[in-house]
Amino acid sequence: MIALLQSILLVVAFITVFVMLHNIRKSNIKIEDSIFWFLFSFILLFFAIFPQVIIWFSKVLGFESPANFVFLTMIFLLIVNQYRMMKKVASLDIKLKELIQVIAIRDRKQ
Amino acid sequence: MTVQRQSNTLIIIPAYNEEESIFAVVDHLRKHYPQFDYVIINDGSKDRTSEICHYHDFNIIDLPVNLGLSGAVQTGFKYANQLGYEHALQFDADGQHLPEYIELMVSELEQGNDCVIGSRFVTQARNRSLRMLGNTLISWTIKLTTGQTISDPTSGMRIFNKELIKTFATQVNYTPEPDTISYLLRQGKKVKEVQVTMQERQAGQSYLTLTRSLQYMLHMFISILLVQSFRKRSL
Repeated sequence: MIALLQSILLVVAFITVFVMLHNIRKSNIKIEDSIFWFLFSFILLFFAIFPQVIIWFSKVLGFESPANFVFLTMIFLLIVNQYRMMKKVASLDIKLKELIQVIAIRDRKQ
Repeated sequence: MTVQRQSNTLIIIPAYNEEESIFAVVDHLRKHYPQFDYVIINDGSKDRTSEICHYHDFNIIDLPVNLGLSGAVQTGFKYANQLGYEHALQFDADGQHLPEYIELMVSELEQGNDCVIGSRFVTQARNRSLRMLGNTLISWTIKLTTGQTISDPTSGMRIFNKELIKTFATQVNYTPEPDTISYLLRQGKKVKEVQVTMQERQAGQSYLTLTRSLQYMLHMFISILLVQSFRKRSL
């Protein structure tokens, strides 16, 4: 069971890194936007290589199976990313509003 | 565009809330270094930076919203590219950089270098502080991945040739940061450092808080060690 989970984590980690590097090569994303995903992959890789850590954490925290601990960690990371995205969207929203106002006022002045 | 190019060299001065220092810095440049053109990129400052520049009839571009340092500097490169400048130099608005060294940097560039960095530590040793530790670590990382020594990778005083002006103006991941320098080296570009002296910032707040510094270091490590090895050689 744990061996299968380990291989899945390993594969997902490598796919994530590959997808991010591909996007940077294509100039689709800024390098700073990819940092989170590299850390994400690193955590998955860490879990895959040291399953004892997952097992130890699940015991200490009282999880029924180590897989549950992995799921919870993933959900946590997704929420963190959701928060970052919310902040990004909010800042884009504010900037867009200011930009529209600046253009509109400039048009009226001319 | 009604602006005329009078020199081959453009000094790009990104400014965010620099009302205390901007006049002194630009006035000094205009009076003593008229052989260079300059442009101030006001990055949506909330203080009187823009007002002061317009009052004194400085050459200024006002960004209506804050883009951050990379976006502001890139605006300068776009301007340089459109007006056809041969060299573009990034220059701080807070009085840290001294214009005495521009001539030397330009002449090094004309001798066939693609980028010249005004470095604090070519001949002089680093002082030991937390800030310099970051500088040293980035320097090691660049040495490890490119085999070349950049003693002051975080120096913001850099000058680029025409080809790089165009690249910086049009490409996405060419930020004015050390990871871009390492990428230039990987692509076989000639990067040279000249010894300069820098002053303490004359006014204003440093952008780098502890959290930001740690974030910055993490960003630089991942970028230099991992990302840059997989990027296309586009130059």
